Amino acid sequence: MAGVGFRRWAQALTKSKGTGISGLLSGCRAASTPPKGSLPGPFPTTPEERAAAAKKYNIRVEDYEPYPDHGEGFGDYPKLPDRSQHERDPWYKWDHPDLRRNWGEPMHWDFDMYIRNRVDTSPSPVAWHSMCKQLFGFIGFMLFMFFLGEKFPSYQPVGPKQYPYNNLYLERGGDPEKAPEEVKNYEI
Amino acid sequence: MADYKEAPLSTRPRTLDPNDYFNLSPEKRRADEERAALRANLKRQYQLQLNNPLRNQPIDDPALSRWVFARANPYSHFRPTFKTSLLGFAFGVFPLFALYFIFKTDRERKEELIKSGKWDRRLCLSN
Repeated sequence: MAGVGFRRWAQALTKSKGTGISGLLSGCRAASTPPKGSLPGPFPTTPEERAAAAKKYNIRVEDYEPYPDHGEGFGDYPKLPDRSQHERDPWYKWDHPDLRRNWGEPMHWDFDMYIRNRVDTSPSPVAWHSMCKQLFGFIGFMLFMFFLGEKFPSYQPVGPKQYPYNNLYLERGGDPEKAPEEVKNYEI
Repeated sequence: MADYKEAPLSTRPRTLDPNDYFNLSPEKRRADEERAALRANLKRQYQLQLNNPLRNQPIDDPALSRWVFARANPYSHFRPTFKTSLLGFAFGVFPLFALYFIFKTDRERKEELIKSGKWDRRLCLSN
């Protein structure tokens, strides 16, 4: 790639009209920056500016709608509908199939939010109110039942634990010389 | 399905959209055709570059460049208004002071409890 660039530069040098330094300078032009009017600019005020901005973004003039100018930093960027990439046709031959987008198509401001790994605005298979009722109904029911279980515990009857050897007289540090008092933990 | 209501922030399925079935006006058709023409033009430009055998550079997408530029440079179109100042205060200044006070009072309260012996730390490994 560098070889090609050098050759082109040498060709441009020999073909250029100027002599010396001016020939050198005008012969090679960096094509790495975008052309002058193609980057986003300030909010459009006149209809001509709106038409120019619509043309720049490849949108119809009637469809072009910039974000309202509240000083939030949008400039003339178009306000596209808030639709996720999930909603786009999966069978159409997009230029970038994973992003479901064509080359040159204007990108939503929140495009990185609307990709297929993230936010999904497509219609749900079950109605919203039905989903809400099911989820919160289940959670509410379980919470209520656990609350009742705390309030009214129910378990097998238990008593204090009974230990042998006179309630573990020696293990609990009782005097081995002295005879312990007899503890009877049963009734016959 | 006549009473279908879409979820908030979601869209209507295209099969239930009356605009798709009943709106057959020439204006809508013309608008659709203009949009299709723009799209076809972009497709053509892309395909020409894609299938060009003499191309040795990746194809750059001007829409992507514009998007990146717009997202990276909001300050050049920023203007301090009531709304933006309020947002800046709510997200930048207020949490700073609020969190400072919350953490300070919580820690001081816990320190008081520990010093006076009321905080049971016998089985707690992290404190």
